Amino acid sequence: MNPHPDLTSSVLHGLGWYYLILFTMNLLWTFRSFKVDGEFDKSTPVVGGMPVATVWAVLSSILLMLSAAHFTGGSDPAKFVIRLPEWFKNPVDAFFADPVVYFAGSVGLFGAMIWFREWWIKESVAWSMLQGALIFMGLSLSDYDFRQIVGKPDNVPIVAMLFIVSFLTWIYFKRAVENDKRIAEGRPLVGSDDNDKVLVWPDLVYIELICMVVLTAGLIFWGVALEAPLEEPASSVKTPNPSKAPWYFLGLQEMLVYFDPWLAGVVLPGIILGGLMAIPYIDFNKAGNGYFCFKQRAFAICTFMFGFFPLWIALIVLGTFLRGPNWNFYGIYEVWDVHKVKAANNVNLSEFFWNWPVMSSFFGGLPKGSSLFTILLRESPGIILIIGYFALLPPILGLTILRKYFVRMGVLRFLVFSNLALWMAILPVKMLLRWSFSLKYIVGIPEWFFNI
Amino acid sequence: MRRFSIPLASPDKQLQNPSPELKLDRDQCGRFVILSFAPTRRFVSIGCAALAPKSELWFVTLLTNWWKLEMSGQKLSTEEILAQIRGGASAPAPQPAAEEPAAPEPAAAPVVEEAKSTQSAASVPAPTGTADILASIKSGGATAKPTAPAPTGTSDILASIKSGGAAKPEAARAAAPTGTADILASIKGGGAAKPAKAAKGKPAAEAKAPVDTAAASGMSAADMIKAARQGPGKPVAVVGLAEPAPKPLALPKKPLKPAAKPKAAGKGVPRRGFLETCVATICSPVFVAWSSLVAATAVSSLAMARFMMPNVLVEPPTKFKIGPPTDYGGGTVSTKWKAQFGVWIVNSDVDGEQLIYALSTVCTHLGCTPNWLEGEQKFKCPCHGSGFYKSGVNFEGPAPRPLERYGIRLAEDGMLEVDKSVKFQRELGQWGIAASYVPV
Repeated sequence: MNPHPDLTSSVLHGLGWYYLILFTMNLLWTFRSFKVDGEFDKSTPVVGGMPVATVWAVLSSILLMLSAAHFTGGSDPAKFVIRLPEWFKNPVDAFFADPVVYFAGSVGLFGAMIWFREWWIKESVAWSMLQGALIFMGLSLSDYDFRQIVGKPDNVPIVAMLFIVSFLTWIYFKRAVENDKRIAEGRPLVGSDDNDKVLVWPDLVYIELICMVVLTAGLIFWGVALEAPLEEPASSVKTPNPSKAPWYFLGLQEMLVYFDPWLAGVVLPGIILGGLMAIPYIDFNKAGNGYFCFKQRAFAICTFMFGFFPLWIALIVLGTFLRGPNWNFYGIYEVWDVHKVKAANNVNLSEFFWNWPVMSSFFGGLPKGSSLFTILLRESPGIILIIGYFALLPPILGLTILRKYFVRMGVLRFLVFSNLALWMAILPVKMLLRWSFSLKYIVGIPEWFFNI
Repeated sequence: MRRFSIPLASPDKQLQNPSPELKLDRDQCGRFVILSFAPTRRFVSIGCAALAPKSELWFVTLLTNWWKLEMSGQKLSTEEILAQIRGGASAPAPQPAAEEPAAPEPAAAPVVEEAKSTQSAASVPAPTGTADILASIKSGGATAKPTAPAPTGTSDILASIKSGGAAKPEAARAAAPTGTADILASIKGGGAAKPAKAAKGKPAAEAKAPVDTAAASGMSAADMIKAARQGPGKPVAVVGLAEPAPKPLALPKKPLKPAAKPKAAGKGVPRRGFLETCVATICSPVFVAWSSLVAATAVSSLAMARFMMPNVLVEPPTKFKIGPPTDYGGGTVSTKWKAQFGVWIVNSDVDGEQLIYALSTVCTHLGCTPNWLEGEQKFKCPCHGSGFYKSGVNFEGPAPRPLERYGIRLAEDGMLEVDKSVKFQRELGQWGIAASYVPV
């Protein structure tokens, strides 16, 4: 008998409740949709109008049937049919276990989020996406390994974070798109009517009180319902496998895979903090002060969101759900096999360069020795590349594609700005180089603990 | 709820400072409530010059006195108001002469109350003061003037404050001739110069009035402010007029300029001896308190430092025997000393030579403890995925350099002895040193 069955009667019972909650949500949404959208949307080219509320009614009934099926099917879980098929799981695993595909996918999703913002802020669309995500999660929970990762008490906040971040982003885009429209038409902006005043007592204070009570109740419920995962006593000679940082530091831990500790643990976080503090001094765009907008601050918003979504949130998700034993990548439905072998022979740039047939035939391979000159000669390609990256790229960018910003900012501000941007870009660049070429270090001088 | 936001100065774009802004609101009873008040430096300096702060609590004193005054409902002259605000109701000032149309009466009040941004403006019962001020504030200087019942006082001042230099002459002309000059003099001279003029009551004052007006109208706002800032000592045109007059009002004295004080004191008082001063300092409570605090902290810091050097150190010895070489078969990695001493004992073929060496179990990336994976024949770190060959050389993941070897030797009794106090790093070429391995 399988020690780790995908479905058990208790899982089926839980999923029954899960679908029942989804059914209730959709039932309420159906009523709302009937009132707001009507039964049919006559404006669409579909003959007789596109069914709107009807679709939600059908979905609700399907969810109710799903729920009933899960509640009644607990007698023989092994034969229960509603589960994810292997032909679906395997490609999804392949997608998530390949960091290049995963990262490219997250960047693509980020681009789509911005590009299709006017479409996905619509309430029906957003609701459809939410339901899609919830149903996907419900179906995935029928998989043992998925349940192990997502259901771990440690990881519950990450799952919650995905929904919360999506919701807040949706709110932002909804308001920003609305204001963009109003700016284009010259109408007054949302939220700018009574801008500098907040009604404090009792309006704000009551809201705060209610938030406080709800949050406290939620935390107490959470603390009671999910038990803190206690592990074995700490030992200096035994590291848990995998050994993960707190969830909010998983992005940093991911950076540590690609950079030396002094860089990923000290310099890069310092630059992140310093850069965030420098934003007000770099930003010359006075628009968007005190109201939501996108078009007036498109560059600033896209830059920030790129740093936040693909480079922070996506890395947290990567670290939480996809990094397994020995810090290997695992798909979301994949068994965390300690002995999964993933060849990761990494090569320094200097080795690539000097062992390149053309170079090695001239110079006879990597310069050997530990004298200052040999080390610098060995690492010269990387050193030149890094210096060129940080010293030459800013002026080149300033004279070409970022000319507009260079003119507005002036030399000093532009140099600070472009260097911060380049530091931000170095993380994905290095990640992609590692994943695609197994590049270890661009400059690798272990003799001096200096690796980039 | 209606809200007002009233600039007290004219919207003159040439003004360097932003205009002092008074934001008002009406509460449920229709009274005015000051929401916020942002005075400019110019405005504050006029206010402060008029107020002559006495102590740290001047603000509180000022507010209480002002409040008492406003609640009393008396109709008082400027001097009295100032005197009461500054020093309590010690000496009620005599009424100014009848000819003087009580021009400067409410003069100080608006300055005071605005500058101090007190809570309520409209609820005070003073007949002329506040309502007028508010009216004038509300409607702007020019329109307020005719409507104000006491045409000279409040509106003039406000107009002058509000409009800077331009409006001043006009205000002075519309008002009683003495208005602005008096006010300025009172502001400028604090307690000393003002009573002189106000209580003069002589025809001289009237005679001088045109001059006065002329002088006042000739001054720009900047001049007046400058005059106000300079205080009583400086002979300015307007003050000059008031100088010969007696000082009938027993106003509390304005504190002397700080610069003048030490000089006067230094001459009269004999110097204390150096020793005496030292003793006085050491015996002072502040000194005693702080030095005891410092001493106590220092002693406890020493105790902390002592804590760092324990009497007994519970640590494994740095040198330990691990049994005969025959315990470690060819090509194996022994993990049996990992938990106790943090070493792997490896018996492996290195460049054609069979060696036994002791590898540190500390990952060279960030110090986690890797695991030996027999199937893959590698050490793999669970934290960031660094991988090391059996030899200890790094080949995957972020680890920048190979694992370290500890010293190892064949002891006299035929046992292997590991010495953790020395380590050998490959990247420094130390693996060739004989103390880092034992040939089998």
